Amino acid sequence: MATLTRSVHPHSRLVTDLVRALIVTLALATAAIHLVLGGLLFTLNAVGYAGLAILMVLPGPIGRVRVLVRLATIAFTATTIAGWLLFGVRFSLAYLDKTIELALIAAVSLELWRVDGGPLVIARRARRVVGDVLGGAR
Amino acid sequence: MTRRARIVIGLVAAAAIATGCASGNAGGPAPSAPAGGAVITASGLAFDRRELDVPAGRAFPLLFENRELSPHNVAIYPVGSDVALFVGETFSGTSARTYQVSSLAAGTYRFRCDVHPDMSGTLIAQS
Repeated sequence: MATLTRSVHPHSRLVTDLVRALIVTLALATAAIHLVLGGLLFTLNAVGYAGLAILMVLPGPIGRVRVLVRLATIAFTATTIAGWLLFGVRFSLAYLDKTIELALIAAVSLELWRVDGGPLVIARRARRVVGDVLGGAR
Repeated sequence: MTRRARIVIGLVAAAAIATGCASGNAGGPAPSAPAGGAVITASGLAFDRRELDVPAGRAFPLLFENRELSPHNVAIYPVGSDVALFVGETFSGTSARTYQVSSLAAGTYRFRCDVHPDMSGTLIAQS
């Protein structure tokens, strides 16, 4: 069965680890800020970011489809930013948080590009995986 | 579980504990209202009162004390409207600000924290 993560050249392993560490740090930072904000919605948001941070480094089978975690992180973060633009209050902590979230999107996009090969490659690979799954079900 | 995964889980747990410690009620007596104005405090994601009496027809000071790490503010709205008449600065505690609120006509208004709209109450302006 095809997987959604291609192998990484050993020379780029350190950079990959550094980018991954940056992603986890940024995700946990925005999770902590949302926890501080309090209330159900912000707390759920914090849990979402913490969960994604864990999925970013969790070993095991999840590693084969880590690209989906990366895509989910970008979508989740973009939705959070859009929600704030539409309904959020403008104050210093919110601006700090949005800066962290934009950096998170940038870092995840970088990892997506380095590890998974960019949008076209990802789309082709995802289509192949879906085809494998559907083929296996027949 | 890898060392990296253990570190991540540990950081999440630490953040949760730190937040739990930070969001508690700081306690203590409510501060005195400034002359000719009103006072309100926030702790435990709630204001200390559901009704706020203020003078009508003149500007007045509103002392707002935030007793927790969660950021809050006080904003005033006409009943049934989302167009604010006054929006106080949002800040984290423990800290206090004295807002200078412009004159309100006698009547009933709604106040709330814009960050946590469930924190709300009725503001009554009367001569």
